[in-house]
Amino acid sequence: MLEVNDLTVAYGPVVALHGVSLTVADGSMTAVLGANGAGKTTLVRTISGLTRPRGGSVRLDGRDITRLAPDEIARLGVAHVPQGQGVLAELTVDENLRLGGLWRRDPKGQRSALAEAYDLFPPLANRRHVAAFSLSGGERQMLSVGRALVARARVLLLDEPSLGLARLVLVQIMARIRALVTERGLTVLLIEQNAKSALSVADEGIVLHLGKVVARGRAQHLLSEERLRHAYLGF
Amino acid sequence: MSRFFVLTLSGLTQGAIYAAMALALVMIWRATKVINFAQGAMAMFTTYLALFAIDHGAPYWVAFAVAITSGLLLGAIIERVLVRPVESAPPLNVVILTLGLLLFLEALAPMAFGGQIRSFPPAFSIVGLHLGNSQVAFSPFDAFTLGAVLAVMVLLMLLFQKTNLGLRMRASAFNPEVSGLLGIRVGRMLTLGWALASLVGALAGVLIAPSLLLYPTFMDDVLVFGFTGAVIGGLDSAVGAVVGGLLMGFALSYVGGYFGSDLETVGALVILIAVLMVRPRGLFSLQRLRQV
Amino acid sequence: MVAVRSRVDRLVAPTLRRHLLIALGAAAVLLLLSAQIGAYDDYNLTAVAIFAVAAAGLTLLTGLNGQLSLGHGALMAIGAYTASLLLKDHRQLPVIVVLLISVLSAGVIGIAFGYAAARLRGPYLAGATLTLAVALPQVATRYKSIFGGESGLTVPPSAPPDWLGADFPPERWLAWIALAAAVVTMLLLANLLRSAPGRAFKAVRDNEAAAALAGIDVARTQVLAFVISAACAGLAGALFAYWSGITSPAGFSLGLSLQLITAIVIGGLGSLAGAVWGSIVLVFVPLLTSGMASTVHLPSAVADNLPLAIYGGILVIAMLVAPHGIQGALRRILAIGRARWEYPPRGGQKGVVDWDDPAPGT
Ligand SMILES: Nc1ncnc2c1ncn2[C@@H]1O[C@H](COP(=O)(O)OP(=O)(O)O)[C@@H](O)[C@H]1O
Ligand SMILES: [Mg+2]
Repeated sequence: MLEVNDLTVAYGPVVALHGVSLTVADGSMTAVLGANGAGKTTLVRTISGLTRPRGGSVRLDGRDITRLAPDEIARLGVAHVPQGQGVLAELTVDENLRLGGLWRRDPKGQRSALAEAYDLFPPLANRRHVAAFSLSGGERQMLSVGRALVARARVLLLDEPSLGLARLVLVQIMARIRALVTERGLTVLLIEQNAKSALSVADEGIVLHLGKVVARGRAQHLLSEERLRHAYLGF
Repeated sequence: MSRFFVLTLSGLTQGAIYAAMALALVMIWRATKVINFAQGAMAMFTTYLALFAIDHGAPYWVAFAVAITSGLLLGAIIERVLVRPVESAPPLNVVILTLGLLLFLEALAPMAFGGQIRSFPPAFSIVGLHLGNSQVAFSPFDAFTLGAVLAVMVLLMLLFQKTNLGLRMRASAFNPEVSGLLGIRVGRMLTLGWALASLVGALAGVLIAPSLLLYPTFMDDVLVFGFTGAVIGGLDSAVGAVVGGLLMGFALSYVGGYFGSDLETVGALVILIAVLMVRPRGLFSLQRLRQV
Repeated sequence: MVAVRSRVDRLVAPTLRRHLLIALGAAAVLLLLSAQIGAYDDYNLTAVAIFAVAAAGLTLLTGLNGQLSLGHGALMAIGAYTASLLLKDHRQLPVIVVLLISVLSAGVIGIAFGYAAARLRGPYLAGATLTLAVALPQVATRYKSIFGGESGLTVPPSAPPDWLGADFPPERWLAWIALAAAVVTMLLLANLLRSAPGRAFKAVRDNEAAAALAGIDVARTQVLAFVISAACAGLAGALFAYWSGITSPAGFSLGLSLQLITAIVIGGLGSLAGAVWGSIVLVFVPLLTSGMASTVHLPSAVADNLPLAIYGGILVIAMLVAPHGIQGALRRILAIGRARWEYPPRGGQKGVVDWDDPAPGT
């Protein structure tokens, strides 16, 4: 279970998150919605240890991970697919994918995870040994997500995975992740600009506005809230 | 034997040394985006340590091991203690830091080991080999030098390309933030990168010491020519470092042989400028596409 | 014509007047100082002034335009050899003429170097200039008949003019010349930095692409910075020739170039005041440490090398504890003092040399 408690984050004088709290239960998916600059990226960066909060805490299965380094958090089973820029451009597709699973030191499991990722993303399988910088934007996004799947993490933080992806591919990815949530109890925090499609796959949703949580609830419920949709979600 | 052949052979051996120094610089550049101007001084210091071992009765191979391992340790310590704290400082500050370290080590060596110029014993004979009934300007020690540099380079290549550790090291060098997200202990990888680079530098030191004499600034020229070679090859490319270093070796040998040794550095400058005017990021620079 | 005049007046007058006042004040203080101290201190004061001229030029290039030169000693050598060659054939040439021609010759050669440098970035420029610093003295060694080889060219001292009296110390006269040159250089550079080219230098340093979009010719700006910087180095080199009395390759080793770059960083990168602080450190720290080393009784291998070890140690520690140099530390102290009364302290200086690629667009 991932718990975020009263998290406050600031970049110098700019306060990006004001006392944000949320809980994602094991085997469930929560969508974080909000306009550009709402603080969504800041939230996941803080969870994965890349940004230090000014106050508040992050807990994983009851353990306080607020002050841990990103690599320690990753080794606890938290995989973060960063917004854009997530692939190691100088390394090959295969190397990028392999890196996802190295932390578990389980060569056998890694091989099967790698095969699964290639199954899910055939374009990557065709380009195994090319350097990632020659991939298209969509292929990079596949690589980034694929690498997180190879990690076989317990908690997946997805920061706008739809960026640059074709609709069909996105649907495929989401179906796969949904399956992992139900089958393996994966815990997912999904950040999306497109509120409608995010809420249609998630269990819960929260809406951030200028660093504050302005709404939260069951995804179905949020989808039907007329006022909310007009005010924050833009559809 | 023709003059050209002689110059080529001596250029090859010299070039192997410059290539090692260039490789050390490139490894550190790739890991931490630092040009380690203290690389030569560090190699000087580890060579003094080897000589210290010899002075106390150690056989050559023990002294050789002393140089290599102390190089490894020195690199690790310097990265952890001095370079890590200035990780996010302006790049020029790190340049000044390594220059300061260079001066410090070059002053420390004579204080610790005495100020007189010393000679360093070679592992094998430095007399030219006999081929049939003519003697060539290539000694068993030259062969050892070439072989040792080559072996280290092959081992490093295997490490970086074929092992998971090497993969982690490359990832950490390219993108520390994403590497951290993948659970890699980036700090350790960078320390290890410095340690290995410094080992390669230390190797250059003990290999060149017998043909130069040992004194506190004896590695300065090797550093300058190694750096020039690294720049010619392209600072982001290990292959480039090796090619650039070898190129420097040949060029200096030919210029010295045909035009006089006082024009060697001018020759180096001319080649460097010629290469950089055509390829401003060196011969083997990756023409990297813009990241989206 | 008149319209142009008054526009220029309006643009530069207030800061020009302020800089002029500061310069005159500094000149008066230095004049008084040089009269109070002995020949030995005059000699050291001259060294500070010479380094300050070269360091100010390097500050412009590296600190303000972001081009890292590790070979400024070579440009000083050009000035020094120009002066020495002039004086070899014309012993009576007035100092001012010698200095001006040296500035010119270094500036002209700087154009060629500048064009090459404008194509290079970060460590590649560092590598090229470093190699230049090593190679150029070799030319002097090689062409003995012109440059005097290893032993170099002797430089006749510039005699104090008669109206100063017969027993006016020549060291003080040289100190005056060097200090005047330093004050004039600082004045000119300070004004330049306030004007359009000065702003262009910084714009190119901070972001080449943005500067180009704003209509700045990036390459030309870089060449201009290099030329001005080379001219300063030429002036410093000519003064250096008078000061040392001999111009030889050994005087312009790589060490000199590296000392200059350490001076501007220790002083505080990117400010002319920092160049002055750095020059003071460069001259007086070794004097102090060797003075100290000679008072305690140590084995000679230790005593001889202790000053260098201390200097190297200072460089390392300074970078760890005072990354923005002396000027940066002073600014912080002043800002903290002022913050008590007025407003919160501003952020630190920015990193200034474009070392690697600019970060890819986010
Ligand atoms: N590195 C940073 N430095 C300063 N301000 C930042 C930084 N990153 C984000 N911000 C600011 O924090 C706020 C939240 O940004 P972000 O978390 O990226 O929002 P989102 O991902 O929802 O678009 C914005 O106002 C943004 O300008
Ligand atoms: Mg975002």
